[in-house]
Amino acid sequence: MSRDWIRFPLNLMVHPFEGYWDLKYDRNRQFTLIISFCVLFLVAVTNILGSQYSGFLVHVYNPETMNSFMEIVYVIVPVLFWCVANWSLTTLMDGEGKFVEIFTSTCFALLPLVIIQFPWIWLSNLVSLQETAFYYFSNSVAVLWFVYLLFIGNMTVHQFSPSKTIGIMMLTLVAMGFMAFISLLFFSLVQQIVAFISVIYQELVMRT
Amino acid sequence: MINSLRKLKTPLLILICCLLGVGAGTGNVSAESAADSYNYSYWGDAVAVPAAYVATEWISGSDLGTGPFQEPSDLHVAADNRVYVLDSGNNRIVVLDRDLKLVSTVDSFTREGKPDTFLQPQGIFVTDDGDVLVADTGNKRVVHLDADFQLVKIIDSPESELLQDSFKFEPVRVVMDHAQRIYVMAGGVFDGFMEFNAEGAFTTFIGANRVYIDPIEYFWKQISTKAQRSQMVMFTPTEFTNLDIDSEGFIYATNGDQWGNNIKKLNAQGSDILRRTGYSDPQGDILYISSEGPSKLIDIDVTDSEIYSVLDGKRGRVFTYNGDGHLMYVFGGLGNQLGQFHTPAAIDRIGEDFLVLDKALGEITVFRTTEYGRTLNEAVKSYYRGEEETAFALFNRTIAMNANLDFAYAGIGKALLRQGDYKDAMKHFKRSLDQKNYSKAFLLYRKEVMREHFPVIMTMLFLAGIGIFAAARLRKVKERRKGASA
Repeated sequence: MSRDWIRFPLNLMVHPFEGYWDLKYDRNRQFTLIISFCVLFLVAVTNILGSQYSGFLVHVYNPETMNSFMEIVYVIVPVLFWCVANWSLTTLMDGEGKFVEIFTSTCFALLPLVIIQFPWIWLSNLVSLQETAFYYFSNSVAVLWFVYLLFIGNMTVHQFSPSKTIGIMMLTLVAMGFMAFISLLFFSLVQQIVAFISVIYQELVMRT
Repeated sequence: MINSLRKLKTPLLILICCLLGVGAGTGNVSAESAADSYNYSYWGDAVAVPAAYVATEWISGSDLGTGPFQEPSDLHVAADNRVYVLDSGNNRIVVLDRDLKLVSTVDSFTREGKPDTFLQPQGIFVTDDGDVLVADTGNKRVVHLDADFQLVKIIDSPESELLQDSFKFEPVRVVMDHAQRIYVMAGGVFDGFMEFNAEGAFTTFIGANRVYIDPIEYFWKQISTKAQRSQMVMFTPTEFTNLDIDSEGFIYATNGDQWGNNIKKLNAQGSDILRRTGYSDPQGDILYISSEGPSKLIDIDVTDSEIYSVLDGKRGRVFTYNGDGHLMYVFGGLGNQLGQFHTPAAIDRIGEDFLVLDKALGEITVFRTTEYGRTLNEAVKSYYRGEEETAFALFNRTIAMNANLDFAYAGIGKALLRQGDYKDAMKHFKRSLDQKNYSKAFLLYRKEVMREHFPVIMTMLFLAGIGIFAAARLRKVKERRKGASA
């Protein structure tokens, strides 16, 4: 069993149909959840290390604008947005997946991003400008693989047909946009309410 | 408690004095360098730099004993460092020597035995031989005089099928190259510069600017009626605002383009060959308030080593770039102090120093280099000449005075690369954020390291291969034994 912690996610990467089926029906919920959080954590770490230690030739970074906390936010917020948007849509459109399953399947799909990009943080320090093509190529491979896994995961979890899955994924992206818009609106309104209350408080304090 | 405080009193007092002293010291320093001297970093931020030029004096017509200048519009420094000031309002040329003392004033020349004068001339150019060309705008002609101000030829009313019959020739600025070709910037001409051959006959236009079409404006134009359209502005290319010519015959020009490149280097065909490899394209100010808009460049001056300076009429600043397009230094501004202008009109270099002509005040402001400016100028020039050793030393001195000058590190890096110190070269290219040269240095460095450690690396690889093979073998044997025993 202990070997399974590593073997299962790696196996899922190369045999996604089988792996996601296992994830949904055969595996222990706790087991998959722990792996999901680990993967999410690793993606955040890869992101931070990548922005800090990638080679100068592939990544010119301004130390003044580097913020590790924001790098974590850039990973977690999109994943959460995706899961919430996907769940909201699929519950309305006869998807069979539960929120936990959507979350775990999404996190498992992120694994290629870690497996491929993590070594490149160091390898990118050892390449010349001409050889950076390999870096960009493997990055694209990682992203394509991620999208492919996400697609299979979604299809298996919700038991959709391929074309319906593609449609749902597109709609999910649109829904994410809406969510981002509404959150911005919400925060800006809250900000204004806070400002308004603080002004009233000041008025009252000044009066006495 | 109080006792211990009392014991500490003297050291505390000393400490406070020291802190105050430090504060006072830094206050003074920042006050000295508070002049608006800045440069742009790789990230497009303005960073403080030491002043490269400081204004030392200003010269007016009355100081020279010629009477005040009236709306002088152009000045030119000849090869022998004589300064020719075009005093447009008084229709005369004032010639100064290199110490800015009066040599002569010229207000007329002889034409077919009769004296002739200028009328509101706008532009002046002096060739290396001392020939003087004047864009005599009011008289709609270009006057070519020799070094003794004797008439050589007059160019007026050019004829060509490229020109409309109603064309009015209003020369504003003029330059001449070594082949005696004359390039004229004329008012109301959108097709570029007018080129005249050595005989003074019009040959062609060169270097027209591109037309920029404002999408919103275009949309309105599409839905307007013909009558409305005739009332709207036409899409015309921007006019040039000034030009200068370098010793190789390339024309450097500025224009009022807001969206395109407002500095151009034109070759004989009229195509733009300015190198723009700096952190941002040469254009004057990068950061500006949107209500003020970008720089409006009104004069350009090119010296040796491809260094050129442009004058921003909107904010009165002079920007100097090297041949690669890196901003070297900025000085000037609008205001009432020495070193600031009211209506700057023209710049030129006299040796290392700068002259800026103010049209409204009728004054010339003289800027002289500081230690920093001299070092930087000399560093860029020796680098251009290929004297890597000198450039290395000078760039090192420059960054000792201004660690914010990012492109200087690349200069040092290139010298180090030539010397074979790849690792240090890499470090310097990284500081100047120069990926291309960094890659070059890195390749050489990698080769060097690989060559040095080749035996070790190969041995390690070989051993690792044997190790893996042996482990695999061992496992197989073990499994077989297990299978046999079971």
